[in-house]
Amino acid sequence: MIEKDKLKEYARKLMFDMEESEYDTLQEEFSIILKQMELIEKIENISLVEPMSYPFMLDDVVLRDDTVNNELSTHDLLLNADEVENNQIVVPKVVE
Amino acid sequence: MKSNNSILNLRQKLDNKEVSSLDLFTEASNKAHMYQDDYNLFVTIMDEKIEQESNSILAGIPYALKDNISTKGILTTASSNLLKDYVPVYDATVYEKLKNAGAVLVGKTTLDELAMGGTGTTAHTGLVRNPWDKTRQIGGSSSGSAGVVCLDIVPYAIGSDTGDSIRKPAAYAGVVGFKPTYGLISRYGLFAFASSLDHVGVLARSVRDVSLVTDVIKGHDPKDMTSLASDNIIFSDNLDKDISGKKLFYIKEICDYNTSNDEESKAVLDNFFDVVKKVEALGASVCEVSIDKDLLNAIYPTYMSISCAEATSNNANLVGIHFGNRLGKDSIEDIMFETRTQGFSELIKRRFVLGSYILQKENQEKLYLNACRIRRLLVEKLTSLFMEYDGLIMPASGGIAPKFDQKSDKLSDKYLLLENHLALANFGGFPSITIPSGFVNKMPVGVNITSGVKKDLELLNIANKIEEKLGYKDMIVGEDNV
Amino acid sequence: MYKVVIGLEVHCQLNTNSKNFSSSLNSYNSLVNTNISPTDLGYPGILPVVNKEAVRKSLKTAIALNCEIPKFLSFDRKNYFYPDLPKGYQITQMHNPIGKNGYLMINVDGVDKKVLIHDTHLEEDTANLNHYSNYSLIDYNRAGIPLLETVTEPCLYSVKEAISFLEALRSLFLYCNITEARSDKGQIRCDVNVSLMKDTDTKLGTRVEMKNINTFNNVKDALEYEIKRQTEILDNGGKVVQETRRYDDNLKMNFSMRSKEDAVDYKYFVEPNIPKIKISDELIQNIKDEIPMLQYDLVNKYINTYNISRVDANTIVKDKKIANYYDECIRNGGNPITLANFITGVILSHLNKFNLTIDKINLDVNDLNSLIKMIEEGKISNKQAKEVLTKALEEDKNPIYLVNSMNISQITSKDEILKVVREVLEENPNLVKDYHDGKRVFDYIIGQIMKKTRGRANPKLTADILREELENSTL
Repeated sequence: MIEKDKLKEYARKLMFDMEESEYDTLQEEFSIILKQMELIEKIENISLVEPMSYPFMLDDVVLRDDTVNNELSTHDLLLNADEVENNQIVVPKVVE
Repeated sequence: MKSNNSILNLRQKLDNKEVSSLDLFTEASNKAHMYQDDYNLFVTIMDEKIEQESNSILAGIPYALKDNISTKGILTTASSNLLKDYVPVYDATVYEKLKNAGAVLVGKTTLDELAMGGTGTTAHTGLVRNPWDKTRQIGGSSSGSAGVVCLDIVPYAIGSDTGDSIRKPAAYAGVVGFKPTYGLISRYGLFAFASSLDHVGVLARSVRDVSLVTDVIKGHDPKDMTSLASDNIIFSDNLDKDISGKKLFYIKEICDYNTSNDEESKAVLDNFFDVVKKVEALGASVCEVSIDKDLLNAIYPTYMSISCAEATSNNANLVGIHFGNRLGKDSIEDIMFETRTQGFSELIKRRFVLGSYILQKENQEKLYLNACRIRRLLVEKLTSLFMEYDGLIMPASGGIAPKFDQKSDKLSDKYLLLENHLALANFGGFPSITIPSGFVNKMPVGVNITSGVKKDLELLNIANKIEEKLGYKDMIVGEDNV
Repeated sequence: MYKVVIGLEVHCQLNTNSKNFSSSLNSYNSLVNTNISPTDLGYPGILPVVNKEAVRKSLKTAIALNCEIPKFLSFDRKNYFYPDLPKGYQITQMHNPIGKNGYLMINVDGVDKKVLIHDTHLEEDTANLNHYSNYSLIDYNRAGIPLLETVTEPCLYSVKEAISFLEALRSLFLYCNITEARSDKGQIRCDVNVSLMKDTDTKLGTRVEMKNINTFNNVKDALEYEIKRQTEILDNGGKVVQETRRYDDNLKMNFSMRSKEDAVDYKYFVEPNIPKIKISDELIQNIKDEIPMLQYDLVNKYINTYNISRVDANTIVKDKKIANYYDECIRNGGNPITLANFITGVILSHLNKFNLTIDKINLDVNDLNSLIKMIEEGKISNKQAKEVLTKALEEDKNPIYLVNSMNISQITSKDEILKVVREVLEENPNLVKDYHDGKRVFDYIIGQIMKKTRGRANPKLTADILREELENSTL
């Protein structure tokens, strides 16, 4: 069983928090999926299979020609922004 | 009840000037408003008709778009609180193609938040109800898109499908749901859930209508490197070929009465085997094929691992910096944290934590990569079967649309193969279609047919002939169907 | 004393027209937030589309660095939250870099060294954060600019080696025309890691990393500072902590940023939106054919074939355009040694003085060769040639025209000199007599001839002719 504190830490790294009861649900889910994944490990020679990242291979992928098209206006960029100054997005001071 | 509003009928009426496109739009939008309180199918209903001149078959005909498809200048929320005010600044390719074809947008349909979920209960605007029975779910995540078609608000709606998100709600709503081969329809502008599994597809009331729409929205898109060229293929011209001699198969371990422990799922299997008989009556064969049960049991955890892993990355842009509902103010971290904590519902967060755990350095090999390996084994198995068979035919679900208190999106420790097998088509990018096949307990059920990669033409032909035989074409919600 | 071990990661912005995964303009001097697209901003639903030219330029670099090239191109996602990363992940190449296990030959103080390259991979730049006292502003123009990151093995054993490598790498970039390499515009940025070990140690010491250092001078300062810092720790019996430190180039000091424990797990996985792309042998060959001879080989060629000094060779190859010019002169029959002398001297000081590149000056290779030929033929002296060339460059005039119009070329025509000799002798009959009387007037007469020709008469020829005239003359 994964400790709840660990789950909280993972959530924090994903930039959110959850209710206590939600962590309980999550904890249950984790034990279910991890148990199921353990069964997968037992499938014969599984480690020899090449992992699949795409549904199928494409044989004629075309790369983009290096031509310029500034698609958006600055105005469009700022349309959904909360706070703007000098055509830039304002955020609290970022400390490096 | 049958609808008269097939695409071809509407085309004819428009061409004969029996109706105008404004009439159709007004009627659709009135219906949309009328049903909104009861079913919550739309996030946005369009106030005015936007129509581009075109002589396409879809010109002037209304339709609906799932609200996770980017529409410039039109609110697109993905049914998430975080995006409740988000107005995209660019058009998805599928929307652009429909616009250019003169199709008339009636509204943006409700989905499970960020398309992650299969219940239609997690939208920020509330739950979506099944028009066949308000006390039941319609499934998801293309919940609204299924609902608007079965209520005859529009002849077709666009949806997206990552595990079964078109094909499952289609079954629960008694409509046709089609996701073509991966890449046949551009994903540019579809809010990504799990990019290697995501498909854009169509919900309608007949295989013909689904084909007509797919003909318009398919094609290679320079903005989507995974999109396919299909210029010389017209699906709607190939629907009526005789299918005698075609070979279909079903998976023995999934269509198993022994694992169906209630009357309802037995009835679903009865319905399925009844369909099998009718398919055989068309001169096609339906064989029983056995697949390693361990492999089949791995479908669900594999789907969860891959989809959650990709989803946590795909949605890392939702932090409230230059778009999205920004909350918090003290620091950058505060903004991101508050925006996401309050912007996402519980289910989404649980999926993200799971996905990121799976991707963690120390877990990748055992969880993520093993899931990707199972994916390959399953896809290779099916691909080899598709060399021998023209398609896989299966019940689209293990039961009818669940009651709201019956089913949640909580992970289950049961291996519900009948509920989860549709994800196979997403693993391999196989074309896959659900068509209505009858009723169980007065609720519609469907069968699903899946074919090999790029065999969409053959698949739609087979589906159309089976649809003819089953007789549920053009069906809409009404007592007399049952 | 400790043995220093340095590893470098060099980020270099490619000089493509458009960005790596979108068609937005790739430029550092545009108005804020003008070179943007939905893709650069990571809006929901966007997809990356790989720039062909960025791939070609990366392949070119990988091949020039003698790397193994994979059969397929693929990309990965590096996941982390930061306001300069609009998608929440950076598209990079973690699992399958475009080049790996390569090397670059360098020469440090006349000694050859093979610097091992761990890998070179193609990725995308982040947005720019502009910091003010109370807030920060985000400019997305830089987001998505193609970035090639080249990573060395920890195989550099001194600051000098590190800087030599950086200079050689920069030269390779410029020779391959993959970047403008302007470090003042952040087009080349370095991460460095340093560890110290005793001569007797067999294992590497604890490494400290410093990120995002802009110029080679700063790299030098940062390395020197860090080596000193670690030396002091070790001398005092302390232990170096594995960490990332930030170098402040104003204060010329570094500060701890985060320790190993805080290291971010980037949760890399294959970017599913970019299919695997086959890299054909034909493409590799095509690109190979485009790669010119690089600095290290060129220096050796100049030294061995043209017999010029290493110093001159190094100077010439520093700028690809100058090396090209030099080669062009030689192809047209010029003398390699004299050319090297002129190019590293007059021409280079002119370029430096006016901050010019060689393609911006008006000096035809044939004219330069002709000028040098005049020296060889004794028509003008070396010193005169240099003066003429300086004047030609400064006044933007043709040097050959200048030589003629300045009347400085030597008189080498026998007849012409004889004419002058006879004039002088006729005007001074007593000198002929003095000569025959055994008086030492020969040099005086030469002086008179030179005066008349304003020094232009070829001295040797003049002496010969005068001697003959005097001997043959009768009184």
